[in-house]
Amino acid sequence: MNDLRAVLWIARKDLLQEARSKAVTVATVFFSAVTLGVLAFAFGQNPDLMRTGAMGALWVALAFAGVISAAQSWQADLEDGALEALLGWPLPRAAVYVGKLLANWLLMAALGVLLLPIAGGLYGADLGPSAGWLVGIVVAGTLGFALIAVFYAGLTANLRARESLLPVLMFPVVVPILLAAVRASGAIVGSDDLELAAAWLRLLVGFDLVYAVVCTTLFRFVVEA
Amino acid sequence: MTRAAFADGAARGDGPAGAEHEVAIRLRGLVQGYGGAPVLAGLDLDVGAGRVVALHGPNGAGKTTLLRLLGTRLRPAAGTATVHGFDVVREAHEVRARVASLPVFGGAYGALSGRENLRLAAALRGLAPEVVDVAGLLDRVGLTRAGDHLVRAYSSGMRKRLALARLLLTDAPVWLLDEPYAALDEDGQALVDTLVADARREGRTVLLASHDLPRSRGTADAIVEVAGGRLRVVAHLGEGARS
Repeated sequence: MNDLRAVLWIARKDLLQEARSKAVTVATVFFSAVTLGVLAFAFGQNPDLMRTGAMGALWVALAFAGVISAAQSWQADLEDGALEALLGWPLPRAAVYVGKLLANWLLMAALGVLLLPIAGGLYGADLGPSAGWLVGIVVAGTLGFALIAVFYAGLTANLRARESLLPVLMFPVVVPILLAAVRASGAIVGSDDLELAAAWLRLLVGFDLVYAVVCTTLFRFVVEA
Repeated sequence: MTRAAFADGAARGDGPAGAEHEVAIRLRGLVQGYGGAPVLAGLDLDVGAGRVVALHGPNGAGKTTLLRLLGTRLRPAAGTATVHGFDVVREAHEVRARVASLPVFGGAYGALSGRENLRLAAALRGLAPEVVDVAGLLDRVGLTRAGDHLVRAYSSGMRKRLALARLLLTDAPVWLLDEPYAALDEDGQALVDTLVADARREGRTVLLASHDLPRSRGTADAIVEVAGGRLRVVAHLGEGARS
């Protein structure tokens, strides 16, 4: 019970900080909008290509925004020795990880849900009939992404070259999540094939479970001296 | 190796309520270094429960390193360190439950107010926020009026005062204070003296690192110099000497 309370307090702290600074929100919304716009421009006027590529563009935008979000989420902890003080308290390291994960996931999932209609509009894809499925895929996909991103952002937080190391380390690991998410959402928007989408979604949830266990278990080695 | 002792016997316990001659902090052959250069070269030290020991020494002597080792934020390269009988590496969680640290930096979140920082610290130390007298703590450290301001607007002295309030949240039997007088005005320094005196009266063990030797002489039971990776007892101070 105490651990769950610690998780919620850490998530609340991160969300409160973000609500006041808006550093992640501004950067990720702006970056995602530019990415979606540039890719839409690159696909040209081919409606089929636009519709097929809509979800790929969405996940590219989300992936890069997610890296910014995860790196930024550790920044406030490093200022003024706050993380040092936090880790000196008798709370499980997993609670620190899950708390930060929760805040990061909520921000990413909210961004994903916000971007869905924008991507649909820009790329001429009708999302209406299967919007519920798409929201589910965004929720599962952003969870898997946040699991990896928060873990590796914590690993590199104290390094001088963290900005360049973070994507290099995390993208090879997060590729299965991105592929599954693109396929699942593409199956809905491109061909309205719910059976195929469900198969990819199951795989996505499977990845989420594996990464959740591995990252939560290993996180204490990331922050222990 | 130099062995500095301020207690006899050894016991495993919870602190103030523990045995009269319990050893609160014990170091044996403690070694730590950075990049191959040794900072602490085999320290031996016993600090009895309820004692106040001041660590004195030049910059880079290893005072902060020693406090970080005892606070479980560093692992020793060799040797052992225990807090109330609990090993800082193997039983780190038990150690953390018995230690309250005052870091050299404030250790607070700038985007939260002083009050929010204290509530967060209380919750993460397992205390129900509703039973913690946050207003009383802010008042005790002179931050009543600034309690609702964001910490990023605090001066370094105010941040130190907030860190002192966080120290008072718990009943941890061991306090590790890193430069407690730094950045504080005269009133703030007197506040630290009062808090340390109260801690001694309550039976807490205090290890404080400070460059302010005259000030430390007024509060500590003993002064230990950290230099060249070794410890040297500079003075045992009785009640009379302190006063």
